[in-house]
Amino acid sequence: MRKWLAALLAAVSASVVAQETIKIGVITDKVGPAKPYSEPTLEGIQFGANEINAAGGVLGRKIELLIEDDQGRPDISAAMARKLVDAGAVFILSITLTPATQQQQNVTLEAKTPQMTPMNSGDTLTTQLQNPYFWQTGPLGSIQIATLLSHARSKQLKRVALITDNSDLGQLLAKFFRAGLEKSGIQVVAEEVVPRGATTAEPQMQKVRAANPEAMFMAGVLTPENVLILRAYRQMALKFPIHSSYNLSVPQYMSVAKGLLNGITFVDAYDPEKPEVKKFEADYRKATGKLPYNIHGYGYDGIKMVAEAIKRAGSTDKEKIRAAMQSLEFSGVMGAKGMKYVFPDGKRAGFDPNGMVVRVYEGDKQGRVVHVGQK
Amino acid sequence: MRSALGWVAAAVLLSAVAFFLSGYYNDVYRKLLLWIALALSYNFLFGISGQVAFSHFAFYGIGAYAVVIFLFQLGMPLPLAILAGVLVCSAIALIVAIPSTRLEGFYLALATLALAQLFIVVLNEGGAVTGGTGGLVNYRLPAIFGVYITGPWYTAVIVILVLGTYALLRHLDRSWFGRACRAVRDNPEAAAAMGVNVARTKVIAFTLTSVLAGIAGMVYAFVDNTVNPPIFGLENAFLLLFMVIIGGSGRHAGAIVGAVLLYLLPFVLSPLIGHHHALVFGALMVVVILLQPRGLIGLYDRYPRGQKAH
Repeated sequence: MRKWLAALLAAVSASVVAQETIKIGVITDKVGPAKPYSEPTLEGIQFGANEINAAGGVLGRKIELLIEDDQGRPDISAAMARKLVDAGAVFILSITLTPATQQQQNVTLEAKTPQMTPMNSGDTLTTQLQNPYFWQTGPLGSIQIATLLSHARSKQLKRVALITDNSDLGQLLAKFFRAGLEKSGIQVVAEEVVPRGATTAEPQMQKVRAANPEAMFMAGVLTPENVLILRAYRQMALKFPIHSSYNLSVPQYMSVAKGLLNGITFVDAYDPEKPEVKKFEADYRKATGKLPYNIHGYGYDGIKMVAEAIKRAGSTDKEKIRAAMQSLEFSGVMGAKGMKYVFPDGKRAGFDPNGMVVRVYEGDKQGRVVHVGQK
Repeated sequence: MRSALGWVAAAVLLSAVAFFLSGYYNDVYRKLLLWIALALSYNFLFGISGQVAFSHFAFYGIGAYAVVIFLFQLGMPLPLAILAGVLVCSAIALIVAIPSTRLEGFYLALATLALAQLFIVVLNEGGAVTGGTGGLVNYRLPAIFGVYITGPWYTAVIVILVLGTYALLRHLDRSWFGRACRAVRDNPEAAAAMGVNVARTKVIAFTLTSVLAGIAGMVYAFVDNTVNPPIFGLENAFLLLFMVIIGGSGRHAGAIVGAVLLYLLPFVLSPLIGHHHALVFGALMVVVILLQPRGLIGLYDRYPRGQKAH
């Protein structure tokens, strides 16, 4: 009788251990300014986690996502990181504002908990704080600009116009664009700003037209103002090509700027012709009934990399996961064909500087790749 | 003597709580205490002195950035950095307050709103001094007499800040100055006729409360050892206003109730109803303003209580 009981107890405890999940924290923004990016990234993470669990999980255990909303507020973000550490998360994925991710790092450094952002593009996230528990796999802002400028150089442009909005990020991007263009010997013949809340961009576009540029660069990040620029461009039947920042890769444009997009080029980290992307899109559609966008890919790659690092670590020991993550080489959905995320020599920003592409809108759809990398 | 003992007991009790909380709850508690300190000083400015200013949260940021810049970029010792931070806050408050005394109501709100916006622009454009959009990180509170104050011990520092703020404002409120502030708020002409220097009272109230916000900011700077522009965003200025209005404008207890309620609301509701907590916040605002214009503390006042024993 006793033997039976002991065997039963052993079986029960073994199944409890087998069923114990691996907890992975996600800090997202459900109400704040990062929401348009955070939401599809989270969907990508959830799809990836389901796929991993359907294939048997990691180390024989299922992945459990602990999702916290930081309301786009950096101070609350840090509190959420503490909550996830307390709850036993072995890895934290940060898919919120760049400063919020930065603020979480003080917690992950203190708690020695691996953390990664698969989508933030801030250039200083891995350099401001020496946090060996943090990685960034989204393309840096500087890579985006360099890729677009390399495309401009390949077009032998001499005189261009630059247009942006008055948001902090829009102003910052325009500053980088101008510096990069001038460094490449390309003259900026007109520079215009469309203020937030404007009802038309025609005055600005008339000035651009008067300067007669060979092309126009868009550095703005405010969707409604960018749509105004595109509308004025069409209404005035202008012919010079438009090259846009990463902002025009946000899928929202395909619905809010219908009929205005054909032929516009934009920088992106997603090549629809890549075999991994084709498989990802087919699987995602099969599982959810919807077509994923580029941003979903960031979340998908993020969770896959985390799972791979845990697998290679062979345990949920955070120190072992840290070491496995730092030595990881991974090819995923994002990036140009053949791109790998790597973290050589202790570097923790893993997106290949030549991994971005320039794509063109074909009709209202984000179309083919016309330029790769920054060479 | 008895009241001094009471303050010490409150400080010990409120600090002791931190030693029983996990990392997460301790962090939430710390930030809640800071919001209470801010709501208390903003209540004095808005509720008691009647100045509709939106610069209060910006001063919180000015204090936080100032102490970090003085300590780690100019290499000042801690006491000097704190003193310099207080001086910066006072100087900026005076620069805003003196011309603003000619403004009131809507115009004062606009002028202080402009300051709050300008502050964010300066932070973003400040280059290496403010760290730009990424802010300042990679620092820690220097050792005080060879000891690093961290974890729940730092929560005790915040408790002292909150109690100190409360004690000072309560004392002022009950003094001649507090009555002068209320008189200026209710009827400046009558106050002037009674011998109150209206302009001076306004300037002192504005500068004093702004410096208190700045000191709270200095304490905040070492909570996460990070300062960046979105923490001090303009929406917080409105949240602070809502805290005071919902709790009960002009009442210290009201400010505390409002701060606790609005700060904790998303933490409690988010696991239950997700991001719809923003909707509850809006509905709560409308209901309180329509049904209870004196704030939630007004409900407490209406609640019938037994006669005090004579």
